Amino acid sequence: MTAETIIQSLASGLLMGLLYGLIAVGLALIFGLMDVVNFAHGEFLMIAMYATFFLFAFFAIDPLLAAPLVAAALFVFGAAVYLLIVRFAVRAKANAGMVQIFSTFGLAIVMRGLAQYFFTPDYRSITHSWLGGKTISVGGIFLPVPQLCGALVAIAAFVALYFFINRTDFGRALEATREDAGAVALVGIDKNRVFALGWGLGAALVGLAGAIMAIFFYVYPDVGASFALIAYVTVALGGFGSVFGAFAGGLVVGLVEATTALILPPSLKSVGIYAVYLVVVFIRPRGLFGSM
Amino acid sequence: MDTAFAKRRRRDLIVAAIFAAIAAIVPLFVKDVYVQNIMVLTLMYAALSQSWNILSGYCGQISLGHALYFGLGAYTTALLFTKFGVLPWFGMLGGGLISAAIAMALGYPCFRLRGHYFVIATIVIAETALLLFQNWDWAGAALGIDIPVRGDSWLKFQFVRSKLPYFYFALALACVAWLVTWWLEDSKWGYWWRAVKDNPDAAESLGVVVFNSKMGAAAVSAFLTAIGGSFYAQFVSYIDPESVMGFQFSLLMALPAVLGGIGTLWGPVLGAVILIPLTELTRSYIGGSGRGVDLIVYGTLIVLISLARPEGLVGLFSPRRKEAAR
Amino acid sequence: MTALLEIPLLETRGIWQRFGGLVANSDVSISVGRGEIVGLIGPNGAGKSTLFNLIAGVYTPTQGSIIFDGEDVTRLSAAERCERGVGRTFQVVKSFETMTVIDNVIVGALIRTTVMREARRKAHEVLEFCGLAARADTLASQLIPSEKRRLEVARALATEPKLLLLDEVLTGLTPIEAQTGVELVRKVRATGVTVLMVEHVMEIVMPLVDRAIVLDLGKVLVEGKPTDVVRDPKVISAYLGDRHAVGA
Repeated sequence: MTAETIIQSLASGLLMGLLYGLIAVGLALIFGLMDVVNFAHGEFLMIAMYATFFLFAFFAIDPLLAAPLVAAALFVFGAAVYLLIVRFAVRAKANAGMVQIFSTFGLAIVMRGLAQYFFTPDYRSITHSWLGGKTISVGGIFLPVPQLCGALVAIAAFVALYFFINRTDFGRALEATREDAGAVALVGIDKNRVFALGWGLGAALVGLAGAIMAIFFYVYPDVGASFALIAYVTVALGGFGSVFGAFAGGLVVGLVEATTALILPPSLKSVGIYAVYLVVVFIRPRGLFGSM
Repeated sequence: MDTAFAKRRRRDLIVAAIFAAIAAIVPLFVKDVYVQNIMVLTLMYAALSQSWNILSGYCGQISLGHALYFGLGAYTTALLFTKFGVLPWFGMLGGGLISAAIAMALGYPCFRLRGHYFVIATIVIAETALLLFQNWDWAGAALGIDIPVRGDSWLKFQFVRSKLPYFYFALALACVAWLVTWWLEDSKWGYWWRAVKDNPDAAESLGVVVFNSKMGAAAVSAFLTAIGGSFYAQFVSYIDPESVMGFQFSLLMALPAVLGGIGTLWGPVLGAVILIPLTELTRSYIGGSGRGVDLIVYGTLIVLISLARPEGLVGLFSPRRKEAAR
Repeated sequence: MTALLEIPLLETRGIWQRFGGLVANSDVSISVGRGEIVGLIGPNGAGKSTLFNLIAGVYTPTQGSIIFDGEDVTRLSAAERCERGVGRTFQVVKSFETMTVIDNVIVGALIRTTVMREARRKAHEVLEFCGLAARADTLASQLIPSEKRRLEVARALATEPKLLLLDEVLTGLTPIEAQTGVELVRKVRATGVTVLMVEHVMEIVMPLVDRAIVLDLGKVLVEGKPTDVVRDPKVISAYLGDRHAVGA
């Protein structure tokens, strides 16, 4: 193992880490907003990937172009999920914890079942995309272009999110509702509207990630499951409720995954991430940057 | 008032005995092996879900990583038998004790975690165990373990000619899990678990050592789940990490309780009786083209129950009982 | 003013409690004698709740010690203190909403017995004592506020405390409910339980307590007979005068 290999791995790890961060930030946003973990987050990713695939397969739209469309579609989907399901789940008085977990979990199962039924369990992949399969050399390190693009999109998304939350009215409404949902009603902000838009935004971010990932990952009904777990670990590492934490958590997860792959057999590459998660939450039960 | 309560408890016991008796004679009339198989699985999941319910329902610590204990039970029995010739009955006990010990060891760090962090930790731990087993050559790695079956033997707990002995064992297991829950419901542990679930701060102020309470629930739950795993190993006589430690098992152990009524005595049984045959039947009747229909069906059920009836279907049968006996 | 022969049931010695830069209690030394009803009063932000929670075992004091029944309990948890005989209610009622009234009380009774029949019998007795017997089978979530308060007290009583800490149990009640509450506290003391109560409603508390301890800005301002305390100019100015938090 040469220094070059190590640097190569870490660089790839960083890129993937940014993508993980992009997937996770939607989760963090939703949780920060209303204290609900979206256990169907992986399935949001899955349908984003399928949507991208089908746009490519039927309309020959490149994933890069499809990305904004997919993000928009996921936005609508996320808002719908809130309005039709989650809105009722948070009203539960008895067994509140169970309801919140299983309502979105049930949704995840349904989505996976629907995908299996309509799309079959076959693995799909996008064969000719503008970025697919290309690598670029940056200072002697070969970086896969799709992942690089994904990382750039992720960074752009984080920056945009930052400005959105801190500089726009809606962003501030989001923060305010996060702090005190009851109080905002008194100033005329419709809590449901804010939550629906928050879910939509969270889903859109995942949609963006899914569109990029469809360039270089196989698409199949259960693809969401593995990334979902990474997303939960990322958010929990960074601290539920912290958008910046999701970003940092993503980087940590990406690097840890890459490092583990260097040391252990590839089938064990996730063990590193899991171990880090457990160590971090045991020492800091609220995650690295957790606020709640 | 005392008598009313005692009457209710006795009634539960009598009803359970009647159900068990009916269940016991059903196989004498139903000879179809396929149906018998479903019945065995239903009973097994009833037992598993009842065990899960102890920690996650009564004590409120929702675990989605219980497949860990199921798998440990299965592997302990299988390994002890195939490598050392230890009879499955001892293996079962061993698996149960190991699982209880590990549950408590994990409890140390995990019970400090709040809500979502805890659930995710349980998932992560089970996944890690699965990955480790997949790479552990001595335990068969990804190929798993084949338990050699050489004819009927109660000693070796394996049967070829008929599924009936498995059926009766599963029935016994389900009854034991139910009885343990019934007994614990009206015990100091049961009351304290419910207090911890409802309001841990208030429980502390009343002398409940929350941490110890959770540990107890975890140990009992893990022990029973592992026995179920051991049973499964003998029933299918082949295990591998994916099939006994996979996440889908963790989910399938939780769902009957969620459907029937989390934290209730009859919930897991009711849920298993509805869910397991439903999923098995949808899976086979809709056939290959209908892959995923079982997921759609029970996923929808779970969403509906969570939103419309979080106390579970058990509430339909006796609203008064739900109110008073809890 | 306490008799020399009696060791106080509860003593706090030099309690300091800091939360980051904020000093909530400074050098608080109080004592509560057996069989007394002591009122802990003071304006908002005086540090009453903090002291209360320190005695109950919710926090460990930054400095100082707490002696209960001759034993240093400073490092003991809330559960351990309950076992030693400290019972408490919560200002914001924390009933077990998913359990019935009697089950709520049984939870408390179980610290003293593991025999269910015993616990149930005890719970019945306590409910009778607190006037909640008729509501035994009702879900705690369905009680009216004053009943919930009484449930808090009943639950704590089931643990057979030597010292009962009452956190604003009489606040926000109608005059009739408050009177019933006062009678209940008197009944509790009559059974031999010592009571330390944090309160706001002066007119109700003053006739009830044997002794009042006034806190202000985290320190003990004055203590003594209620009639003396209310006339003390320091107390009057603490409640009415200009107060800015002085801090550390």
